[in-house]
Amino acid sequence: MPAMNDEPNCCRPPDVEPTAASAPVPVWIIVLTLALGFLGAVYFDRHSGWFDRQVFTPYSSSVALASYQPKSGAAALAARGKTVYENVCGICHGSDGLGKPGQAPPLAASEWVTKDLTTLARVPLSGLNGPIQVAGHDWNLSMAPMGAGLSDADLAAVLTYIRTAWGNQSSAVSEADMKAARAAISGNAPSAADLAKMTPVERGHEIFKKYGCFQCHGQDGKGGVTNPNAKTAEQVPSLIYVADGYNKAELIAFISRGERVIPRLNPNGPEPPHFMPKWDGIVKTNEMSDIADFLFSLKPKGEKLDF
Amino acid sequence: MKKIISTRTLLFVATALALAGAGAARAEDALDAATKARVEAFEKGPATIDISKYPEALKENYELFSQKCTQCHKLSRPINSDYALPDEWSRYVKRMMHKPGSGISSSDGKKIYEFLVYDSSVRKKAQLDDKLAKASAEEKAAAEAALKKVRDQYDGK
Repeated sequence: MPAMNDEPNCCRPPDVEPTAASAPVPVWIIVLTLALGFLGAVYFDRHSGWFDRQVFTPYSSSVALASYQPKSGAAALAARGKTVYENVCGICHGSDGLGKPGQAPPLAASEWVTKDLTTLARVPLSGLNGPIQVAGHDWNLSMAPMGAGLSDADLAAVLTYIRTAWGNQSSAVSEADMKAARAAISGNAPSAADLAKMTPVERGHEIFKKYGCFQCHGQDGKGGVTNPNAKTAEQVPSLIYVADGYNKAELIAFISRGERVIPRLNPNGPEPPHFMPKWDGIVKTNEMSDIADFLFSLKPKGEKLDF
Repeated sequence: MKKIISTRTLLFVATALALAGAGAARAEDALDAATKARVEAFEKGPATIDISKYPEALKENYELFSQKCTQCHKLSRPINSDYALPDEWSRYVKRMMHKPGSGISSSDGKKIYEFLVYDSSVRKKAQLDDKLAKASAEEKAAAEAALKKVRDQYDGK
């Protein structure tokens, strides 16, 4: 056993405590802290509701919470209308209501929207063919009756929305207004009883008219409307040969899905103004079947390809 | 030299920024996403067919096929598509032929159709047989008759 007294004490001065040397904080910790802080701030901004006592899980912000509150009056109608607008109208007329050149005129500050309701109410139901003037500019386009398949309540909501959004300050539209507009233009449309008596091809023809397919594809489906810079010879295609190119399931699938992007003749040229809308959810399932039968019937008699 | 900022840190910062950005970005218009994905998958495949063993008469049809169909889309789209039955090719060729401005006459269309049917019976044999096995007796008979017509016309010529 070694004697404690013998241990040399040469290397440690008795009265100095050991100390750690100082070192700079690594850069990566600073960056990590900043990044975490940033992420935290973003999360807080999204989910906190800014200390609002009413905001707690599952609601993430006061805005989200407010959207669940029962609403009434024109504000509620416009809120419902906004949803319809973004799904149906906004693709062409734009979320900002400013329209798109060569594709759709503006709705913001448009006299078509803000003035006479009787005319406005008919546009989604019957479509609209140019040339027209909107806020002093000429527009020569055609719109399909995109609202023909919507309920009166949805139509009233969407028209209320466009009449009150983007600085427009016109009166709200009621379901009764839409009912009246529908009645006013339904003079020539066959009743449900008449439709039931028709053959599928005849019914399909009525549906072809009802949804305004003729506005682009022509009265008898022979096409003819020009579609500048479309690869299909700058025309909306004729429909008389769809019987050759599609079976019924394929045709219905195509109509349902539409064709949003039309290939351009000149790749650097402008977007062709007309495109095939997505009809899924607008044209009903039984109507799809009838319209396919009608389109197949358009094939010229006696013309036959040997393959 | 001492590394000042580690790769992991960089990755972390990038992820944080990307997350913040993703929330702000609006969802892309995905109207036709399924069709787009399908067509893109076809177009990734080979862009030519080895026709060295095909009948001489059919080689001309291949030329026509490559010339007409590439006006609007890549040749790899029809080459790798999931169509194989004569009936499918008939509809597909006619659908394209009737597009305004296609420049495909009905005799051109017929030659392209014949090439595609012949090619499917050689290069896509497995796929064709699979489709025939699933078809009804009537469809199968019609497909086999259409196929025989094309094979008889070109085989050994």
